[in-house]
Amino acid sequence: MNEAGNADEEAFAAYFRARREHVRRTAYLLCGDWHRADDHAQSAFVALHRNWRRIRDRGALDAWMRRTLVRAVVDESRRPWRRERAVAEPDPGAVADGAGDGVATRHVLVDGLRTVPPRQRAVLVLRFLEGLDVARTAEVLGCSEGTVKSQTAHGLAALRAALGDALDDLRPAG
Amino acid sequence: MTDMDEARLAETFRAAAGAAPPAGFDHADVVRASRRATARRRAAVAGSALAVVAVIGVGVAVTAPGGGNGRDASVAAAPVPAPDGAPEAAAGGQERSGPADAGPPEAPLGPSEGECAPKQDPALRALVEQALPETADATEAPVTLECAPGGSRAVHLEVEDGGVAGLLVVQYLPPGQRPRPGAPDARGDEIAYAAAATASGGEVAITSTRTGPGERPPFADRLAAAAAVLAPRL
Repeated sequence: MNEAGNADEEAFAAYFRARREHVRRTAYLLCGDWHRADDHAQSAFVALHRNWRRIRDRGALDAWMRRTLVRAVVDESRRPWRRERAVAEPDPGAVADGAGDGVATRHVLVDGLRTVPPRQRAVLVLRFLEGLDVARTAEVLGCSEGTVKSQTAHGLAALRAALGDALDDLRPAG
Repeated sequence: MTDMDEARLAETFRAAAGAAPPAGFDHADVVRASRRATARRRAAVAGSALAVVAVIGVGVAVTAPGGGNGRDASVAAAPVPAPDGAPEAAAGGQERSGPADAGPPEAPLGPSEGECAPKQDPALRALVEQALPETADATEAPVTLECAPGGSRAVHLEVEDGGVAGLLVVQYLPPGQRPRPGAPDARGDEIAYAAAATASGGEVAITSTRTGPGERPPFADRLAAAAAVLAPRL
């Protein structure tokens, strides 16, 4: 491998080390299952590695990864052979045993997110886990800011419908 | 929603994604998978070229009695590794070497082999590049590692056409496989679709989805022509 090739491999390895866990967590909230999250995250990194030299704007790697992850998860949910199965209504009472308990928080919120339509779920994850504003979320999803706003509202409404008061109980006391 | 609400929601989301189990893959896994995929693609391209050579070789053998029996062509194709069914055409050059003038110059690619069909099929990618040459440098869109139904083939590409970015999905379903691809929701400014029956009795469907600003999906006007080019090859 030549010098440029080595530099590319080192740059990719550094990016992988820095971002793997974050990408896995984003994938997890998008799909609700750690095994599939690892599948999605690994696929995204493989695609990134294959296209590393073609991605000219290295400052936009995070945006590229977000876009690819969201697209893969939403795309998967549309596949006839891999439709997401409807999950049972989450049990809001599950949080009552320990509203401050991290395990309860994880399970209840993730169960609730599974009931939110994939595209709305992606908006919620980008807004509240990734911390993107409306404009950047719209860029990732390739839609208008108005669509992001309406899907945020619909997504939160769906989450609230699934979790009820548990959603408020989950929030850390402020 | 107030800023305070947003801050609390963000904290809740971060907590929900915390405590991740150990990762199921590492850097070496990623690099290995990447190189394997690249090797498959190169082999498929080489396989397609050799298939043409094999067919020409068979043609020469048939039209020049005593000049050979297609063995040379099969020898030329033999070293090609199995790129997910790509050599079917090459191998077919020998097995289907009866009357060279009895069919199309190149046997259709047909179904993939095995129960697990890849979502980035190198042999199909090589054909797509013939139908839409602009996709030769297109980046592969990320897909999950999960299997598609056996026999099917698919390619997912990030494309750009006239400054409009999009996702191009080409899918082949073999005869009898259900569900057959159906036309997606009609949203002409976002999604374009074309399909055609293939030579092997299956169906090829091409979907172009606009993912960035623009008035039409990439290649919207050319999908039907591309499907017509692919149909006799599949």
